[in-house]
Amino acid sequence: MTAPALVRRNVAEKGSASAAPRHTWREDLIGWSFAAPFVILFGIFLALPILAAFLMSFTSFGIRDIQNPIGASFVGLDNYAKLLSDAKFWKSLGNTAYFVVVGVPLTLALGLVIANALSRGITRFRTAFRVGYYLPVITSIVAIAVVWRFLLNPDVGLINMLLRNFGITGPDWLASPALAMPSIIAMAVWRNVGFAMVVFVAGMQAIPAMLYEAAAIDGAGRWQAFRYVTLPMLRPTILFMLVITTIGYLQLFEEPFVMTGGGPLDATLSVTMYMYQQGFPFFHQGYASAIAYVLFVIVAAVAFLQFRFLRTDDAPMEATR
Amino acid sequence: MIRTTLRSPLPAIALVVALVTAACGTNQGSGAGSAAPATAAGGSEPAASTGGSSPAANLSGELTVWAMGNEGTKLSTLADAFTKANPGVKVSVTPVDWGQAVAKLQTAIAGNTTPDVSQMGTDMMGQFGATGAFEPVPSDIASSTYFESAWNTNDVAGVVSGVPWYVETRLLYYRTDIAEKAGITSPPATWDDLMAMAKAMKEKGGSKFGISLGTKNWQEYFPFLWQNGGDVVDASGNPALNSPQAVEALTFYDSFFKAGLTPKSVPEGFDITPAFVKGDNPMFFSGPWHLGLIDTAGGADFKTKWAIAPMPKKVTGTSFLGGSNVVVFKNSKNKDAAWAFVKFLSDPKTQALWYTTATDLPAVQAGWDDPIVKSDPNVALFGEQLKDTKAQPVSATWSELSSALNDTLEKMTTGGMEPQAAADQMQKDAESIGVK
Amino acid sequence: MTAAQARSAVPAVPGRTAGQRAPSQWWIYLLLILGVLLMVGPFLWMLLGSLKSQAEFLVSTPTFLPKEATTGNYQRLFDQLDFPRFFFNSSVVAVVVTVGNVLFCPMLGFALAKLQWRGKRLIMGLVLATLMVPAGITLIPNFVLMRNLGLVNTYPGLILPFLVGPFGVFLTRQFMYGIPDELLEAARIDGANEWRIFWQVVMPITVPVLATLGILTFLGSWNSFLYPLVMAQEPNMYTLPVALATFATGQYQADHGMLMAGSVVLVVPVLLIFILFQRWITEGIATTGLKG
Repeated sequence: MTAPALVRRNVAEKGSASAAPRHTWREDLIGWSFAAPFVILFGIFLALPILAAFLMSFTSFGIRDIQNPIGASFVGLDNYAKLLSDAKFWKSLGNTAYFVVVGVPLTLALGLVIANALSRGITRFRTAFRVGYYLPVITSIVAIAVVWRFLLNPDVGLINMLLRNFGITGPDWLASPALAMPSIIAMAVWRNVGFAMVVFVAGMQAIPAMLYEAAAIDGAGRWQAFRYVTLPMLRPTILFMLVITTIGYLQLFEEPFVMTGGGPLDATLSVTMYMYQQGFPFFHQGYASAIAYVLFVIVAAVAFLQFRFLRTDDAPMEATR
Repeated sequence: MIRTTLRSPLPAIALVVALVTAACGTNQGSGAGSAAPATAAGGSEPAASTGGSSPAANLSGELTVWAMGNEGTKLSTLADAFTKANPGVKVSVTPVDWGQAVAKLQTAIAGNTTPDVSQMGTDMMGQFGATGAFEPVPSDIASSTYFESAWNTNDVAGVVSGVPWYVETRLLYYRTDIAEKAGITSPPATWDDLMAMAKAMKEKGGSKFGISLGTKNWQEYFPFLWQNGGDVVDASGNPALNSPQAVEALTFYDSFFKAGLTPKSVPEGFDITPAFVKGDNPMFFSGPWHLGLIDTAGGADFKTKWAIAPMPKKVTGTSFLGGSNVVVFKNSKNKDAAWAFVKFLSDPKTQALWYTTATDLPAVQAGWDDPIVKSDPNVALFGEQLKDTKAQPVSATWSELSSALNDTLEKMTTGGMEPQAAADQMQKDAESIGVK
Repeated sequence: MTAAQARSAVPAVPGRTAGQRAPSQWWIYLLLILGVLLMVGPFLWMLLGSLKSQAEFLVSTPTFLPKEATTGNYQRLFDQLDFPRFFFNSSVVAVVVTVGNVLFCPMLGFALAKLQWRGKRLIMGLVLATLMVPAGITLIPNFVLMRNLGLVNTYPGLILPFLVGPFGVFLTRQFMYGIPDELLEAARIDGANEWRIFWQVVMPITVPVLATLGILTFLGSWNSFLYPLVMAQEPNMYTLPVALATFATGQYQADHGMLMAGSVVLVVPVLLIFILFQRWITEGIATTGLKG
């Protein structure tokens, strides 16, 4: 982006009246005409249900209210207060934090390493590798669960079968409170590394070759090229992926849902799973909504903090999924 | 959504004729069927059949039925048979995945888009019954037609809100050859026998374990509670999960784990069949579905190596009763056809047909007289056990409570919690979550 | 120096960058192949599993290759499931949702990136907030809404909540920031109004990002499971993943072979689409201006 455009955009973004002209009603009209289709659809089908769910969190909406949703009784902040003393909720929060703290760096690091190998390490079969690594990302969780459940089965599963070849008796991965979450983390990383890889490959494609050439002339080896050229140039991409992956991982649901149902002994219960459990089998929809909005606050806070501490001075990077 | 279409009078006349003759046929069928249970249930059968024939004359319109899983996909066989008998009614069956059935039913009730008839797991009756969405069962459907414990699973706060469709109960599956090797030639008759047999099979029979018990499955623990004379609730309906009988039952259950006779970790989605066939685990409790699974896995040569046996006794030999009921929704626009369909499902002939279609056991006592059902001796054993079964209480909060009970069971079997503490925790949960 | 400038200045020639000694590449290939085997292995197993009979799933030692390959699972799958119908449902929903996103999201993205208007920040904030609310909590409110609109068990009911989404907005907005204002100014001077500028100047440049958005949206819609299950009242409105889960699992046992066969069938279309269009994704993200 050229400098004048940068200035103009930054000014527009800050909305200061000093440099930019005030909005005319005509400009407003044009802007809204572009926004209208999205906003209308969004308003009705996304914003409205979200608002309704938010209001539900202040009620004790439960089984007996299903036939008459409007009649649910208002309980104010009771649901939120109950959450504070709910041991299972805190456990789920801890599990989710464990998952995020280990899973995000692992996913990004592996994605980076593979992207690097694909972009700079090899010259042939790139497409084949890209497709192969991306395969888990595009597969339905229903199919993945089928496969991984068999993989992790202690008696008939592939993983323990392979371990047996080395003389090791593999444990019951998903039934051990200590090993269940690491198994889930492994599965989630396996599933998402492809997406990180694709994004990083894209980012690396835009790094000009001459930077690497210059580094080579200066005597830099492969590792130094990575450290002094690749990483800095990828910084905005890394930040982007960090935020997306964190937001996604904080909402961990599918993997524990299909693999362990939250067990053993709640070792893999994530916040979103707990929310779903409260809402659907147990019918405490009001309470479930409260959980959802507490999570929302946490997600927003984490995303905000990540930006604060890690943003580059370039384009104001907003979170995308 | 449901319209009654009236075309020319000719088809209508034909319809009436067909229905009248069909109704006569139904009388015939249930007449024959009523001969057997009449001795057991004392002659209320004729009331059921007369009640069943009168609405049949005017049936028309559409009927939507929800049924779960691949049992749902097979329901079309019965639906076709019903339509043959009632050509004016168009039945459409919607199979619903078990895993999401609760969510789907919840949203349907909330959005007022319920079907006319739906299958309902016996442990779902309380929850959904509390929403007030079910139509009470008309008085011409007699309780004596069905197994008592199955009928009781439909009692929602005093109102009979559904009708049993099919049942299942649990028996002991065991390896006869491993038992023989361990010096045991007959199945365990008492609790002590069971413990002795498990020990022997492990030590002398050469198996890795003696038995396979669920680590967090209330359906495996409750039979022991009942066999010891205890129950989830007492006579006045209050929780009784830490009664002396309960603590004793829990102690017995836990003793298998403490003695290393059953594995302490059971993978999610685990199926015992391979381990049973291999001989690693020579005993387990399960329902009739494992009959087919073991045959498939073991093959022809395996048939002589295993058998099933009734529940071992302490005070009684009670087993768990599961299965499914059918309910009619209050919002149904075609209640006549709906109840006719429900009655059709309870017809002993239909029950036998369902058995051949889906190998689900008849909930109607008369259904067991059908030669096809009686033919397999293993199935007959299940029929015997059905005479002494119990089910969980019908409770609006059963899902939450059973989940808490499972948590506690898990803590006891794998986490080192002592049986008395477990019983107290179960009682505490039952009191706070509720059993009504 | 920005990447955009650098790119136009010196074309990136990946692979031929200096400092690569040819012989040392082989171990990278090896590692990558091992990695890919890990990724792809389970699918191979799934594919082979779809050719096994139920008995082979019940044995105590797992096998990789089927003892007796059988197409019975696929036969059962196509017999028991009204396959063309479910495929059609999934396709219709996915295609329309994709078209909607690809059409409406860039419009808002453009408005956010290049136009000034009152309420811009508010909309931005609302859209951003939507991303952070856990899915699933809106299931019941959404369903009640659909019910009141009379859209349960219809295609619009399956499509409308997903016709637009926040992701598309952010992706396109981010990219459109990078479009030089001079281009737009030039068009304005030529007398074009904003609409013409949008369609004739901006959208053509945005094609890579639109393709990316299209593919990702399609994939998301194709695999979605919970919402279509709840929204469809009759099985003829089920989408593929829902049908598979429903027909292959019973109350007490699962038809493993059929599950595997169904899973293979689920994956094949998305795989084909990805292979055909994956080049667009890389290019699309690369030109989005995410790297600075």
